[in-house]
Amino acid sequence: MPELTLDRISKHFKNKIAVDNVSLSLSEGVYGFLGANGAGKTTLLRMICGVLKPTAGEIRCNGIEIGKLDGDYRYLLGYLPQDFGYYPDFTARRYLEYLAACKAVPQSLAREKVQEMLSLTGLSGDQKNKIRTFSGGMLRRLGIAQALLNDPEILILDEPTSGLDPKERIRFRNIISSLSKGRIILLSTHIVSDVEFIADKILLMKQGRIIQQGTVAEVTESVKGKVWEYLAEPAAAIQMNDCFAVSNLKNEGDLVRLRLVSDKRPCEGAVLAKPGLEDVYLYHFEEVSEHVDNLERRTL
Amino acid sequence: MIQKDPTRGFPSDWKFPLDEAKRAQSLSLIRLESARKHIRHYPTFWEHLWNHLRFQSWKHWILQGVLLLAALFLGLALRKRPTEGFETLTACSVFFVFAGNICLTNVANLFSWHMAELEQTLYLNLRQMICIRMLEAGIADFAILSLFLIITGGKNPGGILGSLTYMLVPFLWSDTLYLHMLVSLRNVSSGFRSFALGLLCGAFALFPLLWEDVYQPGYLIIWLLLAAFGALMLVVQIHRLLGSIDKGENICLN
Repeated sequence: MPELTLDRISKHFKNKIAVDNVSLSLSEGVYGFLGANGAGKTTLLRMICGVLKPTAGEIRCNGIEIGKLDGDYRYLLGYLPQDFGYYPDFTARRYLEYLAACKAVPQSLAREKVQEMLSLTGLSGDQKNKIRTFSGGMLRRLGIAQALLNDPEILILDEPTSGLDPKERIRFRNIISSLSKGRIILLSTHIVSDVEFIADKILLMKQGRIIQQGTVAEVTESVKGKVWEYLAEPAAAIQMNDCFAVSNLKNEGDLVRLRLVSDKRPCEGAVLAKPGLEDVYLYHFEEVSEHVDNLERRTL
Repeated sequence: MIQKDPTRGFPSDWKFPLDEAKRAQSLSLIRLESARKHIRHYPTFWEHLWNHLRFQSWKHWILQGVLLLAALFLGLALRKRPTEGFETLTACSVFFVFAGNICLTNVANLFSWHMAELEQTLYLNLRQMICIRMLEAGIADFAILSLFLIITGGKNPGGILGSLTYMLVPFLWSDTLYLHMLVSLRNVSSGFRSFALGLLCGAFALFPLLWEDVYQPGYLIIWLLLAAFGALMLVVQIHRLLGSIDKGENICLN
């Protein structure tokens, strides 16, 4: 069972600091990296994969720098990049067989592994179709299938659920949960529900730094006493939506129930609510407010 | 208390009856599980090479075949025609430049379709794949060059060494330029770039038609210097390409 150590990792692109002095120790379990776009998640995962070289610091696997391990390290890896690549003229089966060969899966085992992964991701029926005909969700599933081909001990998934419909996302979560034993699984997302139920540890990233880490319970504890619910008139609700980080709006008769995150009581009548991971996300990343704003304003 | 021997009364060679079907099924499951655990397999260089070649598209192999056949027909046609030595050399040089560029497009293809990032994380990584494809391109180029040397060697006063140098110079410099563009101008449309570069280098290789004396033995030393410098620059460009892969930023931007 490998153990990964990130020792004061930084990555600079010209004047931009993408990852800033990150230190982590990762062993068996599912780690969910949560953060807004541009927080540095993808850069960090790319460095862990060995695609990018850190500007400073060192990544070690069982105490040895991953660059020195070279092929031995890549042997342990399964990676789904955010921009998943594929050769459009390949069929799904041929594509997986190609990657199995490149991952040094013995030829005697490759056929069976490919079939297993096609079944696992629900692509058996499409295995003879060219990838160029695949929908976004099918491509993502193919990406997950290729990442699992070599039974990786370190599985790195960058935005694995983008493009998947709710049913496929649940299926994906179940797959990850079933695989979590004996592996390090790193999962980056900005969709809270992707990691809320399956991650053993949540790592919140902002501006290249890990600002908070811990179990879901530990992380949500940090916003205890900061999550409020309030029943307001529609006009007042719109005003509050502009002033506070609102995580949810729900019509209840003529009134609107707001769920918001604030250090102080937002107004008289607001009552404390039990915090969830979405509230933590909202507390740290204001972007959700805009998202909710766009989605929910129409309901008012 | 006297303990009863449970086997008493049974013949000495008696065994529990085995369900052979169940046994076979269990053994096959064990074998499968053990095979799963035993996937640590270190392919040899030849296995890597074979694995890589067997997944090349049929279009690629057809292109390679057409290229070799065209070289063969060109060689035979030039051999039959009573052309001057310099014309034969120029024709072969131009063809060799095009062949070099066409073979290198297979290397450039590794950077297409966003595959580079994923391939860099595989056991056989992008850097090794590039080396394999360059080797493959080199073998095809070598076959064409050998063919042309056999054809032009006798017609040229500089002999085999002269012919080799005259054909290598445009080839080395066009490949150098190709790789330079691959590293530095990745955002430019690759198909258009390859085509334009091929035409440009091919046109450049035609310049001896305008200056016939350039193949005279007196100029051979200049050709040799150009070839040596071209070879050095090609090595530099290959080093740059592999270095940019190791650094990774270019891969992520493809």
